[in-house]
Amino acid sequence: MSEPLAFLMGKFAAVLPADRRYCRNHMWCHPRGDGVYRFGFTAYAIRLMQDVYFLDWSVNAGDAVALKQQIGNIETSKAVSDLFAPIGGTLTAINQDVLKDPSQINVDGYGRGWLFEMSGDTGSTLDAQGYHDFLAANWDQTQRILKGQMGE
Amino acid sequence: MSRHRLTVVLSQAPGKHQAKRSLEESIAAALILEPGLDVSIVPNLYDLGPDHTGRMYLEGVSGDLCVLTWHFPRAAFWLLDRIGVKGHEGQTQLKPPADDDDEDAGESATPQGVGPAGEVPDRQIYCLDLRDFNSADPYLNEIRRIATECRERHEQKQSAQANGTAPLLQLGVAGTVATEANGHGPATRAFTPEELLAAPNRRWYPVIDYSRCTNCLECLDFCLFGVYGVDSLDRILVENQDSCKKGCPACSRVCPEQAIMFPEYKSAAIAGAPVGAISGLKIDLTKLFGGEVKDALSQAVEERDRELVADGRVAVGMTVGIPKRQTDKPQGPKDDLDKLMDDLDALGL
Repeated sequence: MSEPLAFLMGKFAAVLPADRRYCRNHMWCHPRGDGVYRFGFTAYAIRLMQDVYFLDWSVNAGDAVALKQQIGNIETSKAVSDLFAPIGGTLTAINQDVLKDPSQINVDGYGRGWLFEMSGDTGSTLDAQGYHDFLAANWDQTQRILKGQMGE
Repeated sequence: MSRHRLTVVLSQAPGKHQAKRSLEESIAAALILEPGLDVSIVPNLYDLGPDHTGRMYLEGVSGDLCVLTWHFPRAAFWLLDRIGVKGHEGQTQLKPPADDDDEDAGESATPQGVGPAGEVPDRQIYCLDLRDFNSADPYLNEIRRIATECRERHEQKQSAQANGTAPLLQLGVAGTVATEANGHGPATRAFTPEELLAAPNRRWYPVIDYSRCTNCLECLDFCLFGVYGVDSLDRILVENQDSCKKGCPACSRVCPEQAIMFPEYKSAAIAGAPVGAISGLKIDLTKLFGGEVKDALSQAVEERDRELVADGRVAVGMTVGIPKRQTDKPQGPKDDLDKLMDDLDALGL
């Protein structure tokens, strides 16, 4: 297994384990081996959001969801956001432990802090290097967006 | 000893949020035992229509007022202004638990707003944000401090009056001495707690911060639903608040001075967070998490189009009511940007 990559956000290094795929909405995608994939927030996303206070899903296990369909929202110490489906397919499970205690996302974002599981087409996902390149290519733009937000 | 009293009004969170209810109740229960305070609970201030008893009660309070809401203090203050409960903004010392970012960011380039319409009575209105703490004590301590501050101010005024200030000037001030001593006009006696608490329907409308509004009327041009109008002095006002489209904050994004607030919108900048104060202000990451990347104006245009279509009208895109300043000055003043850049660095990104 290759070494994890790290994307530098200023001084902070967002670690990107090489054992999984990545989505452009800053979720990781890890195959369970049975056609079902587990999803969670990348270290990059968690660094932007910081402490998660509140997480809510507007869909249930068993629902069919389309790529980029809104499926929930999140509130953290630094941010609020709507959340969107990382791929199109069927939602098979939601991590109830994280719903009860969202701080697990901060404690173990690549492990116990997983969000939900889906089956579907993961063709649009990126490997760690691809995601790293995606972050690098968009970093300037991301900072502009953040600044624009603060200026509103 | 003065008989001056402070009126404390608690504005409930909408819905049945258990933790919020219990904070409201523990504050109210403790305050009822305090001397010198008149305590009332009303439903969510933002939802109160003109015929709601809770609103009539507020309108009847003529003395110093302390209002606790689940909104940013700036939003609560101008919300009260909107319903005719006017006064001078009392300075609260209640500060949310510090994010230890720099606190003086809020002082950056405040625009010269047109100020509130009409006469502002000589009293203070303090707005406290119930989201700042999850226990009652910080609020109780602050309310006690405010009560003392108000009593001292009142006593000072009285002694100034006794020292020969022309009594005619005092007569011009709202309310007579007799009613002011109680903090209430005569109409406020009859309301029962049940009447005050009758649940209103949820509402959605913009609230204007006239300390920032420069009356540029860009919101009037932009909104195509007839929400905005002008008064007899050509000042902008929210004329038809119930024509506003639920969830749509487009006009707020268009406002060049961040003077338009939607107190219940998810992102703090629009909900009335202190302008320029990054600490405590939440960033909306929706765009990064799957939404497309858009500037504020395109976002506003899209939100407006969505509501137009929902109304069976035709989407107008960028063709109607687009502020001209956007063409040559898309990023706002340079100085602000530099400051925001620093604030971003402080986040350690």
